[in-house]
Amino acid sequence: MDMTIDGNGAALSGAAAKGWLLTFADRVVAGADELTELDREAGDGDFGWNISSALKRGREGLVGIEGEHPAEVFQTVSDAFLASGGTSGPLFGLWFGRLGAGPSASWGVSDLGAAFGTATGAVQRLGKAEVGHKTMVDAMAPASEALTGSSADTWSEAVSEAARAARAGADSTGGMIARRGRASYLGERAQDVLDPGAVAVAWFFASAEGV
Amino acid sequence: MSRFFMNERETLVEQALEGLVEAHGGLVDVHTDPLFVTRQTPARGKVALLSGGGSGHEPLHTGFVGTGMLDAAVPGDVFASPTALQVRAAIQAVDTGEGALMVVKNYTGDVLNFSIAAELLSDTHRVEQVLVDDDLATQKEDEGGPGRRGTAAVVAVEKICGAAAEAGAPLDEVRDLGRDVVARSATLGVSFEACTNPMTGLRSFDLEPGEMEFGVGIHGERGIETRSTTDAAALVDSLVAPLMDTLGLRRGDTVLTIVNGLGATHGLELGVAARETRRVLDGAGIGVVRSLVGPYVTSLDMKGLSITLIAMTDDLVKFWDAPVRTPALAW
Repeated sequence: MDMTIDGNGAALSGAAAKGWLLTFADRVVAGADELTELDREAGDGDFGWNISSALKRGREGLVGIEGEHPAEVFQTVSDAFLASGGTSGPLFGLWFGRLGAGPSASWGVSDLGAAFGTATGAVQRLGKAEVGHKTMVDAMAPASEALTGSSADTWSEAVSEAARAARAGADSTGGMIARRGRASYLGERAQDVLDPGAVAVAWFFASAEGV
Repeated sequence: MSRFFMNERETLVEQALEGLVEAHGGLVDVHTDPLFVTRQTPARGKVALLSGGGSGHEPLHTGFVGTGMLDAAVPGDVFASPTALQVRAAIQAVDTGEGALMVVKNYTGDVLNFSIAAELLSDTHRVEQVLVDDDLATQKEDEGGPGRRGTAAVVAVEKICGAAAEAGAPLDEVRDLGRDVVARSATLGVSFEACTNPMTGLRSFDLEPGEMEFGVGIHGERGIETRSTTDAAALVDSLVAPLMDTLGLRRGDTVLTIVNGLGATHGLELGVAARETRRVLDGAGIGVVRSLVGPYVTSLDMKGLSITLIAMTDDLVKFWDAPVRTPALAW
């Protein structure tokens, strides 16, 4: 895929964001069974299907847009998630939707920090979930903090740091007892299982690698 | 073979809404992709009032779209929340600059999707929310739990807020009025036979002859207790007494009553329930200033009823009496 990155690549262009999201969509569609398996052990087993059908719709939407700036790209994916049922789908729709309200230009490292900070704050507030509740927030929050506090010069370095933080956050859900969401009904029985929402967030940040 | 009358399960809600327009084409329009219902003649220069939630509760909410009540209703699938995409589209369609008030029954999915839609429009629209949680059967003390469910009091919230919005009240005033009505409301329901699942054609629970389910909601779930059936007088006593108690009603207070059929309860039965409700309140010295009797917030074809009491003021009665013209409520 030909990815045109504007200037010296320090800022995230619309084209790069589009490539990032398409890679993420492919990753989730290919790994849907893996997410479903986690959800079967801890929840009701519909997570993988829900998120992959949202991202299939999102992929169709992405192909149809120019991707002039990252906000437009995130907005397109948001709409696909907002059309889904359940809890995780709408919350991902909210996250991407708040990112979609970001600047209508290429995003520098500080723009990324501000946009992901706002978006993650909205998910925490409306989802009523904090770090440690064994949800997608356990990967979103450390990734946002990594972006906000990043001293990297380029967007891709900053997102790499966020990807490491998100992965560590997703892995940390393995020792947690769920406080929110479907897994909270199982309590200690699902303690060792990773939260599929947090894993999907880790995949999202990792998907920027190589774009 | 399903005993639920329909074509395909997938098109049930949309086809029913086509029928609503067929019956009330002068009043409402249905929008598809995404699905929501608006007034046929949009109102301008007033606060937009919206509600919505799972289908299966007809005429709620789509039957309350029209002059003096809702500007839009957003239906989900049967007993499932509408999506945030639907809610956002409905707000964008009816907010003409005075802001939008969402009346939301307290269910996790509804609250999440309406709140997300409002949040995503926060840069361009002023959106406020009234949460309706009148069902006493779900009263719990635990902090952080989902709280009480929203049931039939939502009709009064929509009517009273609708009248205030029509009269030109600003957004925060209509919101506060709605929250006040909720604080003054309490509901209890009872079922004699569960509703039919449209997919399976099966009842959502079974009762033996002589049993009834006390404290049911509006989604076919069991109530808080299975009790022996009684005559209408004793049953209404057992529903109304806890409502009076919760609202702290005293001799000389006045109430609006909603005697609501849950879907398959006959008008004759609701008539008896309304009479018995009046008897209990008269006996306690509580004035019934207005009554609404009929199937307004149903649970598919559940056989049963709910009783709602709302402590009234003169101002609230004026809003209740204001003209309304919707498919399900008109005066």
